[in-house]
Amino acid sequence: MSNKINSFVVADPAKCIGCKVCEVACAVSHTQYGVVTAGTMEDPVIPRLYLVKTPEVTMPVQCRHCEDAPCANSCPVGAISQEKNVIVINETECVGCKTCMIACPFGAIDLVPKYVKGEEITQRVLKSETQDGLVEKAVVYASKCDLCISRPDGPACVENCPEKALEVVKPAVLKKERNRDAALSLLESVKKFIG
Amino acid sequence: MSATVVGIVQIDKELCTGCRRCAEVCPVDAIKGEKGEPQTIDTEKCCYCGQCVQVCSAYASIFDEEIAPREQKIAERGLLDSVKEPLFAAYNIGHNREVKKGLADASLFKMVQCAPAVRVAIAEEFGLKLGSLTPGKMAAALRRLGFDRVYDTNFTADLTIMEEGSELIERVTQNGTLPMFTSCCPAWVKYVEQEYPELIPHLSSCKSPQQMAGALFKTYGAKIDNVEPAKVFSVSVMPCTCKKFECDRPELTDSGFKDVDYVITTRELAQLIKDAGIDFKNLPEEDFDKPLGTYTGAGTIFGVTGGVMEAALRTGYELITKEAIPDVKLDFVRGGEGVRKATVKVGDLDLRVAVVSGLKNVRPLMEQVKAGTADFHFMEVMTCPVGCVSGGGQPKVLLPKLKETAYKNRACSTYTHDDNLPLRKSHDNPDVQKLYDEFLVKPLGHESHHLLHTTYTPRR
Repeated sequence: MSNKINSFVVADPAKCIGCKVCEVACAVSHTQYGVVTAGTMEDPVIPRLYLVKTPEVTMPVQCRHCEDAPCANSCPVGAISQEKNVIVINETECVGCKTCMIACPFGAIDLVPKYVKGEEITQRVLKSETQDGLVEKAVVYASKCDLCISRPDGPACVENCPEKALEVVKPAVLKKERNRDAALSLLESVKKFIG
Repeated sequence: MSATVVGIVQIDKELCTGCRRCAEVCPVDAIKGEKGEPQTIDTEKCCYCGQCVQVCSAYASIFDEEIAPREQKIAERGLLDSVKEPLFAAYNIGHNREVKKGLADASLFKMVQCAPAVRVAIAEEFGLKLGSLTPGKMAAALRRLGFDRVYDTNFTADLTIMEEGSELIERVTQNGTLPMFTSCCPAWVKYVEQEYPELIPHLSSCKSPQQMAGALFKTYGAKIDNVEPAKVFSVSVMPCTCKKFECDRPELTDSGFKDVDYVITTRELAQLIKDAGIDFKNLPEEDFDKPLGTYTGAGTIFGVTGGVMEAALRTGYELITKEAIPDVKLDFVRGGEGVRKATVKVGDLDLRVAVVSGLKNVRPLMEQVKAGTADFHFMEVMTCPVGCVSGGGQPKVLLPKLKETAYKNRACSTYTHDDNLPLRKSHDNPDVQKLYDEFLVKPLGHESHHLLHTTYTPRR
């Protein structure tokens, strides 16, 4: 069993300008038919990270790939698991119950409609009652950052941010860096005492 | 001015997040607004180059319930109802609704022209590799859309060289206003009119290839097919959003009618093809119609920065020296964004040229011209970074990381096309020669002057 701590992507709010390239890049890299230009993007843009814009801060928020993931713990159908240090949702097993969405302390999970080549996929049995009678109900599933697990170059958001505001945080590396910085800073402050 | 002229390029206030990346790429500082707030465009300053349209990534989310419905935005933007692609904050007004209406009108004779940069990019919108070269499929698609004549702006690019080259020689030999500026790029022309109206005499009096074609469609073209000029529906497909502004200039009606009725961009043509259910990828390769669709390599390189200059030198050299140019490949004017200068030995003349790509880079040279210290005879200016291949109306590459590849591939395909064409010099175009024999008589002649040349409007 690996004791490696999961990585995650985080944005530097001092650098983020709120351009939404991260969201577009995320949606593009999760479409299945090689979308490159706007004209080839037939599905709506459905990202797995969410730009937050408030008077105080602008930055995208995404999954932290928690070590004791509340989403996975709460999923009644066992659709959330850890694969190669990434918390992933099995979209086909997901029943859209929203428990994970509520359990996530960051709001990193959204329930999204399923599209294939620009067409919304509807359910086989469950219909929705409307003024126009019974209409087909869309398939909806839980969706969140998967660290672009199947992308050789890593997370598309990080690669495409024009401000280089996003980075993949590797907690173990970060911890060692912090320790080293603390040691060096301590050395600086005691220098005057030890001559 | 017609309603379409003002505000061809717009920013949707509901979608703009105020990141100001558009302001960063705007060559004329036309985008105003506070950081984090929706931006507005100063239409007096805006050159309609559409680089903001290319860079914008703030999109209409299906999860945002506070914005106007997609159908409403589609209608406001002049897009076809069938358009599925995401809508971004910065956009240009589309004209496919009008073009579709014209195509459906049986009483009209429909003629279309395509700019050189369209054929190296349109296939991207159908999932082909960035920069795929598909002139044949594009011609086939236009024919299936219902155009009676599929002509080519490349033909009038060759014609521009005949007129502009002759004009340059006349200016150099008869103490005319120098340096002479190219006049093909409408955003650059508008820039001169508003920022340096005193330098307007430096602009070549030649219309852009688009407008030359428009004027010929409703005169020579109508005559060839024996149709009433009033019944000619003239459409152009451009990589450029500013061409929409250009075609609406009130003076460009020398055919007796509006020379170009509507301009659609490369992206809009792709939308029109999809709307008609045409399978672009599997279309056969077809030719453009003759005579106004015949072109040389010189015509096609108009789509990249340095192309007009290289094409002009290929012909100018021979017109002046009466000898064939030793090598048609004039690499020294090729390149990307920035300023390049070169001296070309043309007979006894040391012809000094400057090539500017990216309107932001032109100001120092304009100041030199104004001060009378400019040391060159001829200057090509293209507003967009790599010339028309990176124009505001070209397919929008969604990942910033891939943009460079797209521009490089499109430019590379343009030069490959030139390399592989049987004729590479504008004056060798047999149908241009025929046009002069049958109709225009000679470059800078009476008829050419009437149909192919224009005047400019100081805007300050």
